[in-house]
Amino acid sequence: MAPPREASRFLDWVSYALLGAIGFALVGILSPLLGSVLIPPRDVFQILLHQLSGGALFPQPCAGTGTSARLCGAYGTILWQIVVPQILLALVVGAALGISGGALQGIFRNPLADPFLLGISSGGTIGAALIYVYQFEIVRADVYLPLFAFLGSITTGLVILGIARGRFSSVETLLLAGVALANLLSAILSLILLYNPAGSVQVTFWLLGGLGLATWSIDGIAFGAVLVIGTLLALHGRELNLIQLGNDVAQSAGVDARSVRLRVILLASMATAVAVAFTGIIGFVGLVSPHIVRRIARPDYRVVLPGAAIVGAVFLLAARDVSYLAFPGSVLPLGIFTAFAGVPFFLYLLYRQRRSTTMGGL
Amino acid sequence: MDRAPGPALAVAGLTVRYGARTALHRLSLDVPRGQFVALVGPNGSGKTTLLRAVLGFVAPAEGSVAVFGRPTGALSALQRAREVAWVPQDESPRDDVRLSDYVLYGRYPYHGPLDAETAVDRAIAEQVLRDVGLDDRAQDGILALSGGERQRAVLARALAQTTPLLLLDEPTSHLDIAHQLDLFARVRGLARDRSVTVVAAIHDLNLAGRFADRLIVLSRGQLFADGTPAEVLSRDLLARVWGISADLRRDPHTGVPYLIPQRLLTAAAAAPGERGGGPVHVVGGGGSASPYLRALADEGYRVTCGAIPLLDSDAETADALSLPTALELPFAPLGPEARARHRALLAEARAIVVGPFPVGPSNLANLEDLEPYAGRVPILLVRYPPIGERDFAAGRAAAAYERLRAGGAREVGSVEEALTALRALGTGALPTTASGAPSAALGSEG
Repeated sequence: MAPPREASRFLDWVSYALLGAIGFALVGILSPLLGSVLIPPRDVFQILLHQLSGGALFPQPCAGTGTSARLCGAYGTILWQIVVPQILLALVVGAALGISGGALQGIFRNPLADPFLLGISSGGTIGAALIYVYQFEIVRADVYLPLFAFLGSITTGLVILGIARGRFSSVETLLLAGVALANLLSAILSLILLYNPAGSVQVTFWLLGGLGLATWSIDGIAFGAVLVIGTLLALHGRELNLIQLGNDVAQSAGVDARSVRLRVILLASMATAVAVAFTGIIGFVGLVSPHIVRRIARPDYRVVLPGAAIVGAVFLLAARDVSYLAFPGSVLPLGIFTAFAGVPFFLYLLYRQRRSTTMGGL
Repeated sequence: MDRAPGPALAVAGLTVRYGARTALHRLSLDVPRGQFVALVGPNGSGKTTLLRAVLGFVAPAEGSVAVFGRPTGALSALQRAREVAWVPQDESPRDDVRLSDYVLYGRYPYHGPLDAETAVDRAIAEQVLRDVGLDDRAQDGILALSGGERQRAVLARALAQTTPLLLLDEPTSHLDIAHQLDLFARVRGLARDRSVTVVAAIHDLNLAGRFADRLIVLSRGQLFADGTPAEVLSRDLLARVWGISADLRRDPHTGVPYLIPQRLLTAAAAAPGERGGGPVHVVGGGGSASPYLRALADEGYRVTCGAIPLLDSDAETADALSLPTALELPFAPLGPEARARHRALLAEARAIVVGPFPVGPSNLANLEDLEPYAGRVPILLVRYPPIGERDFAAGRAAAAYERLRAGGAREVGSVEEALTALRALGTGALPTTASGAPSAALGSEG
């Protein structure tokens, strides 16, 4: 019944390549066309090619399109200073959320684990809420907001790690502790907002996630951090594969399960903290991306971790695109669209899996 | 591979505690290389804890565990995984990983994070899949495997670690009898062919006896017995450690003892021969005495049996229960030697139970030899079937039966009734001093 190994692997790779091509088409063609300001497509491509080639191509962008030079300059600024950084930030943050979701699902052996369930991101929101609510005089949102959010997330991650280091903590107690912590943090946040109604709109908006902070320098910081953290996480694929068989089995096969657990939780917390710092709370990417990889490709964490990063990146960018397609010119929180785009697809995957299981395997 | 000398496994004074509970208490044992050891004992006796201590999952409170001369506590998880592999009782994978990939997971201890699997790894994976008979399923997902296949897949994963020591924890507890035999036969073969040392916790004593070189019996966290299956397996052991009564027979093909569990013993009767006083003698033949032999042994009486021909089913029961028995050759009339032995057993008896055996000229002496004891030692005659129906000695059997009854022997109708009558006799007070009388009777017997 099983197809020959080489043929099935080849088909696998063809389908991955197709998916990749779709992803890159979204990035390369669709995304720059969409934004809070609608720019004619020809201008978009000319401006982008001009910028990318360092001025060699289309030395005079918008020349043949009927757009005035002044407007073209404005378009150029919007594209190069706002749209492109937002696209890149979406990719970086999506990758961070995807890989940290995959790693946490692996370490907790629980398909529902994601950075939000454990309260890592709730910690970030408290950090951010403190800034908005108390209107610190020195506020420079683009510096202090990410900083406070990062600190809030990483503190929460460290608290979870502290619990994880405890001698008798099983994976289950750790997960429960994380969930309890997340609830506690939500309660604290509600309390802060309740007594500071002035700041609550801003905080709520930020809570729902967005790419509004994106600049080239923020992209650079985020990219560097996510590249390092993601690479380190992706190196834990073999350990996570064995941990799926149980911590004892992993241990007997040579995995130092406890130290792997600490490392992975720390790294996943850091990746989440970076994401939360720059884009607020964007749900569902961390949950759904690893599942997509597991179902479409295979449940091998050497594939799931990098795969979830790629899927997460494309998914978040697609959610951004969908938000502009659905409501052109408006800036709606991204978290809403990740849920709108992700839930139906996720349910479809579950349905397909169920059907194929009852029919005796793929 | 470069290994320090030393036994495959050396446990010295090992104590393991879970909180206040002591799971293992000062356990010491050595397992030489190449041995197949079965770890047996009731639930909670410490088998799994011992395996977990070897794997470094639990830390010893006292004592030490060393594999190939190196204390396990001093080994990293990676180092240990190159020495010891483990087949757990129930490894239930969540993800439908391809079997070939799953087996390659066992190669983990031999690679850094960036190494690709080598041709050697793939050759080993193919080899172990052949060893467990799953080479044709290599491309299937593990969730598609049956229970028996999956446990063999787990074995293959452990074997892929190519360790000189293999631990198995009840590896067949979910398998049917054919898969149990299959798995152990494979492990046995691998142990022999690759000189892998195997330590397996096994609940099924017959499987353990059949496949293991050596049984280590744990009871309440302590070493209870240690030796070859033939040395270790006994009714006494089963009663003391498991609290069961079982018949013990010898496999005619292999000579290995095997047991047929009969029933749970009451706490009072948990050890055979525990009741004081002399033995209860059962006269039998033709299988008539077997229920009485077993019931009395289970009640904790010391039991003797005679005189019966070899191959008689009563003789087999007596052998299975390890009872002293007066035996005659099959199909031969009771000869002087058998009768002398029988009389000696009767002389020791504090009570005599006479089974409802068919009486012919060849075994009439069994009844006649009882006559000197009538009135001196309590004699219980089993009433059914009536003596008239099983008298094949032209009325002489019925006459002997009648004389015994007239002499004070009691009739009983069932095993239960016999046990009640014996209990009523109490212990200690029974006349074991009657030994003078039979010897006098012996002389007068003609």
